[in-house]
Amino acid sequence: MIRSLRWRLLLGAAAAILFALGIAWLFMTLLFEHHLERRLQEEMTRDAVQVVAALSLAADGAPLLAGPPDDARFDKPAGGYYWQVTTPRGALHSRSLWDATLDVPPDVPPGDWRLRRGAGPFEPAVSVLERRLTFAPGDPPAVVQLAQDRSALVTAQREFGFELAGFLAVLWAVLALAAWAQVTLGLRPLRALRGDLARLRDNASERMPDAALDEVRPLVAAINGLADARERELELARRRAADLAHGLKTPLAALAAQCRRAREQGADAAAEGMERALAAIGSTIEAELARARIAAAGRAAGGNTGALQVVERLLNVLEHTERGGELAFTVDVPASLRLPVREDDLAELLGPVLENAVKYARRRVRVRGEAGTGGASIVIEDDGPGIAPERRETALARGGRLDESLPGSGLGLAIARELAAAMGGAIALGEAALGGLEVRLSWSAR
Amino acid sequence: MRCLVVEDDADIRADLARALQGAGFVADEAGDGETAWYRGDVEDYDAVVLDLGLPRLDGLSVLRRWRANGRSFPVIVLSARSDWTEKVEGIDAGADDYLAKPFEMGELVARVRGLVRRGAGRVSGVVDLGRLRLDTTRMTAAFDGAPARISPLEFRLLDYLAHQGGRPVSAGELAEHLYGAADGADANAIEALVARLRRKFGADVVQTRRGFGYLLATPP
Repeated sequence: MIRSLRWRLLLGAAAAILFALGIAWLFMTLLFEHHLERRLQEEMTRDAVQVVAALSLAADGAPLLAGPPDDARFDKPAGGYYWQVTTPRGALHSRSLWDATLDVPPDVPPGDWRLRRGAGPFEPAVSVLERRLTFAPGDPPAVVQLAQDRSALVTAQREFGFELAGFLAVLWAVLALAAWAQVTLGLRPLRALRGDLARLRDNASERMPDAALDEVRPLVAAINGLADARERELELARRRAADLAHGLKTPLAALAAQCRRAREQGADAAAEGMERALAAIGSTIEAELARARIAAAGRAAGGNTGALQVVERLLNVLEHTERGGELAFTVDVPASLRLPVREDDLAELLGPVLENAVKYARRRVRVRGEAGTGGASIVIEDDGPGIAPERRETALARGGRLDESLPGSGLGLAIARELAAAMGGAIALGEAALGGLEVRLSWSAR
Repeated sequence: MRCLVVEDDADIRADLARALQGAGFVADEAGDGETAWYRGDVEDYDAVVLDLGLPRLDGLSVLRRWRANGRSFPVIVLSARSDWTEKVEGIDAGADDYLAKPFEMGELVARVRGLVRRGAGRVSGVVDLGRLRLDTTRMTAAFDGAPARISPLEFRLLDYLAHQGGRPVSAGELAEHLYGAADGADANAIEALVARLRRKFGADVVQTRRGFGYLLATPP
């Protein structure tokens, strides 16, 4: 079983062409044979008419020929071309017949020339043209026969067959090549589809571009419909996961309350085990929510958000926290700076980064915005301890939390990196002019 | 001191109330948004713990209604959601602090205490700085009559300047006052803080007298 559509089409085309050319060869050799036979018959009839024209009967009924036909082959013994006139009283024949005779079948037709094949006097096969003549009523009939060697004809036929076969083989190769080109061209849209499908697989919100070909368009429409359904289901599943995670939080808090009550009543060991389990569930939920957020950010690509407003609103939140309330913030973001992200997503991206800066800053946090021809970026600096260059990769890796002593979900910068990537941006860590960590979030201009 | 605990889950509500009672509060409880709104509207609390996911009237709406009616007690918001958009909404609606569920009871109690402490032990009153008014009880500010965003550090800086009788104060002295022991880098932080205040309340809210330091444009 051939598993390649291309090879199936190619082999099918090659076999069909071969069959058609075989039929053509048969038909053309037959035509050629008929043509040769006709030419032979014409030539022999012309000579036979000459024989008949010069023929008369002697008084005793023996044939008399006034002048033999002028073909030189008649004079050469066993020359391959013979004539013979036979009457009941005697016979005349060409010199080429020498001492042989042509068989006279009893059923030679009287009216018209007949061409038949027979064994020759010196050759295996000859064509015989013959006719029965009656000069006058009462005269004995004379049978006029001409015979010609068929070997030249057979040779010509065979040569023609070979040459034609050679030509048809070349033709077959050319046509097979054309079929190959056709198949390749015909399958090219499928290859393009494959590339589009790969993109679709990587990004659920991607769609296949509308096809230019009528035959491919329904396929593209069907695939896009499938992708729509998949995205809806994904969205539904993610929303359910997020709802589930959110829904679990209140019962978790209630469990924590029960836990404290148990501790108050002296069940310290049980309470401790429960608290550990609750903490594990809590961090799993946070991770799941973060994942849902990243997926949502990737899905809702695009957007155009003024960075300054988002930064100010986030700082307003952070200024209300215990640590944030004690820091001096500097915002150096031009009001005109816009980022290709939705407002909610930008808040979710900048929030953890700013929170991280607040967590580690000593006195100051600075937010700068830069826009250039290459793109736009937001730079968040603090004057805290910073991160040594060799540890920056770890800080960005999922779960790569550097400081276990300060509170937090443990995802911080790693989440920010995945969020930034999902939003088409990039994150880079460096050393801040303020002395601490610098986090640069950048979007290159498209 | 009285506080109001608004939470629809009875277990959590009882736990919160018990923890706050243990910290020396008298805790009232409300299980839905309408009850909470009514109680907050007619009674004076020193602090409110407000869950956002409430039946009948959601927490954000309750908070907005209180603030619209001039109820200015400190509010700490609890939410099952941890996304930043909701944090921003909570703070914008007038919350003073925000805590995501599940939370540490100890942390919640500490934050409620912190909110109450801000106003406690202060001379109740208002410092009038022209367009800017400081409420020294709640440590809040109003600019042109509207509530303004101001951080505790910014508040303390303005408050300190307001009590200097028009004397210019150097960045070093401000840093000393705000941070305790201070170095040169801290003076830079003061500069950043002043820059942020100027952005928020206009360039002339704090003036610089070259060589001497900062002073308020319109001292009280």
